[in-house]
Amino acid sequence: MIQVSNVSKSFGQLKVLDDVSLEVQSGEVVVIIGPSGSGKSTLLRCLNCLEQVDDGLINIDGQAVRPGVNYLKSKDIYRLRQGIGMVFQRFNLFPHMTALENVIEGPITVRKTPREEAVEKGLRLLDKVGLADKANAYPGQLSGGQQQRVAIARSLAMEPKIMLFDEPTSALDPELVGEVLAVMKNLAKEGMTMMVVTHEMSFAKEVADRVLFMDEGKILEDGKPSQIFSDPRHPRTREFLKKLL
Amino acid sequence: MDSLSFIWSVLPVLLKGLVMTVQLAVLAIIFGTIIGLIIALMKIDHRPLLNWFGGLYTWFFRGIPLLVQLIFLYYGLPAVGIVLTPYMAAVIGLSLCGGAYIAEIIRAGIQSIEKGQMEAALSLGMSYGQAMRRGIVPQTYRRLLPPMGNEFITLLKDVALVSVITMVDLLRSAQLLNQTYFRPFELYATVAVLYLILTSIFTVVVGYLEKKLTLPE
Repeated sequence: MIQVSNVSKSFGQLKVLDDVSLEVQSGEVVVIIGPSGSGKSTLLRCLNCLEQVDDGLINIDGQAVRPGVNYLKSKDIYRLRQGIGMVFQRFNLFPHMTALENVIEGPITVRKTPREEAVEKGLRLLDKVGLADKANAYPGQLSGGQQQRVAIARSLAMEPKIMLFDEPTSALDPELVGEVLAVMKNLAKEGMTMMVVTHEMSFAKEVADRVLFMDEGKILEDGKPSQIFSDPRHPRTREFLKKLL
Repeated sequence: MDSLSFIWSVLPVLLKGLVMTVQLAVLAIIFGTIIGLIIALMKIDHRPLLNWFGGLYTWFFRGIPLLVQLIFLYYGLPAVGIVLTPYMAAVIGLSLCGGAYIAEIIRAGIQSIEKGQMEAALSLGMSYGQAMRRGIVPQTYRRLLPPMGNEFITLLKDVALVSVITMVDLLRSAQLLNQTYFRPFELYATVAVLYLILTSIFTVVVGYLEKKLTLPE
């Protein structure tokens, strides 16, 4: 489903991704952990071309992303992004639209779905994330957890094959983390292909098929959560996990 | 004739000038906003040629006094075969110049929107244009209102400059009346009061819109 081959990316002098390769199968849930600045978020952002890779090749569901493509103006990339949902740390809901309007925006503007059909589906999705009663609320009227669930529904409205989560609970008050993780767990159960950057180790243990540990732009460890958490091979992973506990 | 009855007797003439002033201001605001939006989008585009053109535009029209632009349009251009009516020259001059200022306001407004908004729109599969139109620009309305209201009031007052190209606006109609009656105190005081009334109405309308556009929290 996702193939990343020898991808590198630098911001100025700083190499944030250093010859990264990985593969994700359809239906897999891959959790990426690692210290901040290790390149986890950048890796996700490269997958849906919010960042351009300098080197290497990304292949998503048969569509290739090469370096040097103008990521803002390429129709191929617009299409590629339709199949990839992205959930951000800061939710990034459109504040001038209600929850429902946020959810139906993609289908109506991008897919040209008739409004009625989009609304019907939008309400179903809001119900799925437990927010059917908040359809007409503006983001400013919702809690962080509720906003993030709307954001997940907004991504799902495009019927993506892959969902990327970039620290989806890091901006939330602790008591609101659970409701967002619950929605994500359900998605995983339904067989969604997911890549999740998170610091929620309990989520990784419970839901992930694989855990990647990244540091300084490299994937240092890639394995089953049971192995990574109980028997990390790389000293850096050990050090990182020890700090968390 | 005492002052008040004099003012009363010439008021219809002044009001005709006032209607012209408002008309020019409204047209300049409409065209200036359209121009301003286009130039602002050029300035934040990722294509260097458009950036360059947008920059050139504001540099040019903001750098030359509006008075000079109006005089050039009306008195200068006929020498090269372009003859504009005073009305056309006034609308063009006010719109081009207003557009330069409005472009800067809109550009700053768009750039004040958090980067994540564009990313969220793009990640839904929107094109850059769709993302701007649906996601970014509508968010700026509320933020733009105070500086735009300011700019609109400035434009409204700048309309007085068109009196030098023979447009009979509020100021010019007072000047013409003064040539006949020579009562400058009453005439120009009335003009000042009429301007104050106009700008006050504007301020109230902008304040009302601001309240209306505030999103519920």
